[in-house]
Amino acid sequence: MIPGLHEWMKRLRALFYKQRMDREMAEELEFHQALLREKLLRQGVPQLEVDLATRRAFGNASRWQERLRELWQFKTLENFCRDLGFSARLLSKSPGFTAVAILTLAIGVGANTAVFSLVNALLLRPLPVPHAEQLVVLRMDENGPQPNYAFCTPFFRGLEQRRDIFEDVFAFNGDTFQVQGRSGNENIPAMLVSGQFFQALETPPLLGRYLTPQDDQPGGSPAGLAIVISEDFWNNWFNRAPDVVGRKMVIANTPFTVVGVMPKRFIGADPTQRPMIFAPLSADPITDAPRDHISAGIHAWWITVVARLQPGVTLDQTNARLLTISRPILHQTASDASYIADEEKAHFHFVAEPGSRGYTYVRSLFRKPLVAMFAMCGGILLLGCLNLASLLTARGAARERELATRLAMGATRRRLMQQLLTESLLIVFLGTVCGVVAASMVSHSLAALLLRGNSFIQNNQVDTSVDLRVFSFAAIIAIVSTMLIGLVPALQATSGNLSDHIKHGQHASQPHELRKLLAPVLLASEVALTMMLVVGAGLLATSVVRLFKSGVGFDPKGLINIAFSMDKQQLEGDALMRRYQQLGEELSHQPGVRSVSFQFIVPLSHRHWTGLYSAPGESPHTLNMNSVAPNYFETMRVPLYLGREFGWNDTRASGLKMILNQSAAKLLFPGRDALGQLVMNAREKTSYQVVAVVGDTKYQDLREPATPGAYVPIMQDPQEKPSLSAVVRIDGPQAPLAGAVHELSSRMAPAIPAPVLTTMDDVLDASVSAERMMALLSVFFAGCSLLVTGIGLYGTLAYATARRTNEIGIRMALGARRAAVMAMVFRENAAIAAVGSLAGLIAAILASRTLASFLYDTSPRDPWVLVTSLAALAAIAVTATLLPALRAARIEPMAAIRYE
Amino acid sequence: MEDKSETGELIQGTLEMLILKALIRGPMHGYGVAEWIQQTSQQVLKVEEGALYPALHRLELRGVLKAEWGTSENNRRAKFYRLTAEGKKRLNAESQRWMRLSAAVAFVMQAS
Repeated sequence: MIPGLHEWMKRLRALFYKQRMDREMAEELEFHQALLREKLLRQGVPQLEVDLATRRAFGNASRWQERLRELWQFKTLENFCRDLGFSARLLSKSPGFTAVAILTLAIGVGANTAVFSLVNALLLRPLPVPHAEQLVVLRMDENGPQPNYAFCTPFFRGLEQRRDIFEDVFAFNGDTFQVQGRSGNENIPAMLVSGQFFQALETPPLLGRYLTPQDDQPGGSPAGLAIVISEDFWNNWFNRAPDVVGRKMVIANTPFTVVGVMPKRFIGADPTQRPMIFAPLSADPITDAPRDHISAGIHAWWITVVARLQPGVTLDQTNARLLTISRPILHQTASDASYIADEEKAHFHFVAEPGSRGYTYVRSLFRKPLVAMFAMCGGILLLGCLNLASLLTARGAARERELATRLAMGATRRRLMQQLLTESLLIVFLGTVCGVVAASMVSHSLAALLLRGNSFIQNNQVDTSVDLRVFSFAAIIAIVSTMLIGLVPALQATSGNLSDHIKHGQHASQPHELRKLLAPVLLASEVALTMMLVVGAGLLATSVVRLFKSGVGFDPKGLINIAFSMDKQQLEGDALMRRYQQLGEELSHQPGVRSVSFQFIVPLSHRHWTGLYSAPGESPHTLNMNSVAPNYFETMRVPLYLGREFGWNDTRASGLKMILNQSAAKLLFPGRDALGQLVMNAREKTSYQVVAVVGDTKYQDLREPATPGAYVPIMQDPQEKPSLSAVVRIDGPQAPLAGAVHELSSRMAPAIPAPVLTTMDDVLDASVSAERMMALLSVFFAGCSLLVTGIGLYGTLAYATARRTNEIGIRMALGARRAAVMAMVFRENAAIAAVGSLAGLIAAILASRTLASFLYDTSPRDPWVLVTSLAALAAIAVTATLLPALRAARIEPMAAIRYE
Repeated sequence: MEDKSETGELIQGTLEMLILKALIRGPMHGYGVAEWIQQTSQQVLKVEEGALYPALHRLELRGVLKAEWGTSENNRRAKFYRLTAEGKKRLNAESQRWMRLSAAVAFVMQAS
């Protein structure tokens, strides 16, 4: 055994058998003494001298014990336990200080851990599959500004046929399936996956088998169309039936056979999706009917491609091989010669990048806000630490005499530092525990807030559970905070001249210049940091408010969208239009409904449809398109400048009609009246008659000004089975409407899944969810930091003033007025606050440029925000300072002088 | 405090070696170790109790000795110390070192 370890174990044992050890030591010595005595007696020494001689040989018994015990002691551990007990007693004696300290840290640590667990879930955690480090995500580089991760089917199939590049390569696309349940069709989150998906992810199924390349054929394997379901779905839909393998499920009116169940830990290659059903990629024309991404060839960029590297082949080697096959694949699979020429000119090639964390679109969306939030949280923690450091410095100053006495009694400086650091450690430990507990709750709702109702990223989930990485992160920040909080006050409290401290005690009259500066510098930097956070929060909040106020061209208040999925039911064409018309009429009779219309694209929902149109004989322009029902502009409250709304009799037979918005009218017919003019579709050579000009509305992005757009009637929509959203303007709450809609749809369209209701406000919220979340959080953080700073300013000054009670008493006894005393105390913090805010303001102005990309219509130096922040900080500082100042003014001179 | 013994004050390292030597003959209690050293050295080396017990405990802590409670020759409970394998190795090394050292000191002292 290693000698050191042996000793360590024995000492550890001794710690638990302390009393027994003591007893045994005494017994051993007694035995020795007895034998010695017997020997002396045998030698004929008189009894009296025998006792004397043994006592001389042994000396003081307790000193003996002490010496032997010291040998066995586990010094560091025992000291640590003693320090811990002492610190706990000390902290429980000042519950106010302790509560503030723990709360401050809990906020800091909690915020950091919460955000880190989000960062971890979205950006760091590898996929829960074996050897995730061998996975790569593929992209296409075309000299464009942004790498392109969305592949088309032909490119992917080209890669899939090359067995020499990757061990396995697969494609997937998150989707929603219409599954036939007991009460009609239901929408279920699902994923289309290519043949090698499961074998590449190397996770064995819980039951049955997984999908193989044989399943990924049009029409499925010879045994028919196969699907694999998740364990959750097996629980909820099949009640964990053991005979689930082989059962049939009807998806999009087509029977599929369940061939296997995947275990709960398996989530596929997108960490934010939880598909319930996995179906072969080739089944897309069935599940997505009437759309067909596979026949669309190089015009449908819809799948993500991930691969597993061949064993022993590096990423660089793989990329070199990919480079050589990029052009052949382009030539083999693309049929359009001009497209090939364009891509070749752009040096089109495939690139593999590390993909152990899988691929999720959400990542690119939230990376920037998350990193910014992380920085803010770091700021909060730093603030908390500064705050506690200055509070502890103040406390340490009050304990100068105690520490000096202990030093004089022979305690080493190291030992005292140990004790003071133990105290900080205890505070940090308690704070961290509170923080981590809070964080695990907060991060969950944070993730929900992040992903809430964003129509673009439906059904997404983020697993923010605390794993080893989050835990280590919390531990590291705890250790760093202990150092930050404890080291400076401990060093300061134990330095300096011993006898001075003992002589002067709490009234050390001439503190060292450096030490005198420390607390103010800490506090001032705290104020500066808070100033930065408050300015940042102010800017973000102002920007979001302006974004909402900027106007969208319609009135979103009281508007509700009801999405009907009509793409897989029987009705089509004019019959379907009549059904929509009936639905609209029924809806308009519901209580509280003022008007009803239909639209194909919900504005600002990130969906879009563009077309190339021109005035006769002119060059074409790109217009944002939508197809809408009669009464649309009235329902949306979009101004109708010229002409009329569409009517139900604007059918395909009655000639193509179009409504332009003002920008489009100006673009196509500059200086002319657009009403009654013809507009040509550049591709299909069809012509439309302009029947109205309406106001501009924002189409895809709230942040950008309205774009030129055009509307066609839904009755003339080229799609056979368009899935439209009803847009309903209501008075009052939406709850009664929801019930009525369900009843209505099960009566009038029993084949479709339950319609989904969203308010237009939610759509707007979701379209700026990143900005909104950042603004909300930063306002919350700024509030926290204001509170923390206020506590810091108050606490430090209150301590300092308490220490000066005696001095203030003398001043007052000598005739100082209460107002003068108050001013004297007030001045101390006023200077700190002023210097801190000024420094913070300058730093904020310098740093705010990094925020510029998040700001809408708001200058990073917006004077209104800067002034308000300054005022908020000043108000907090004054309040925090006034309380100790008032208390100082109320000091009774006689009582104060007698004090001590 | 304890008075410095006039005869046979032992430096620590040497005492430890002597203890190991005493115990090579078999397990023994502290008093026995002291007596044996004193008798074998013809009463020249006197082992101080104040040095003996800390040394015994230190050696036990290092795993050179192992302590067990047993019954003494006069039927009393006593703590017996025994050499471990590690202790035997240690004694070997120590005695060789001592031989070399004392021979060297003798050479120097005999030089004219």
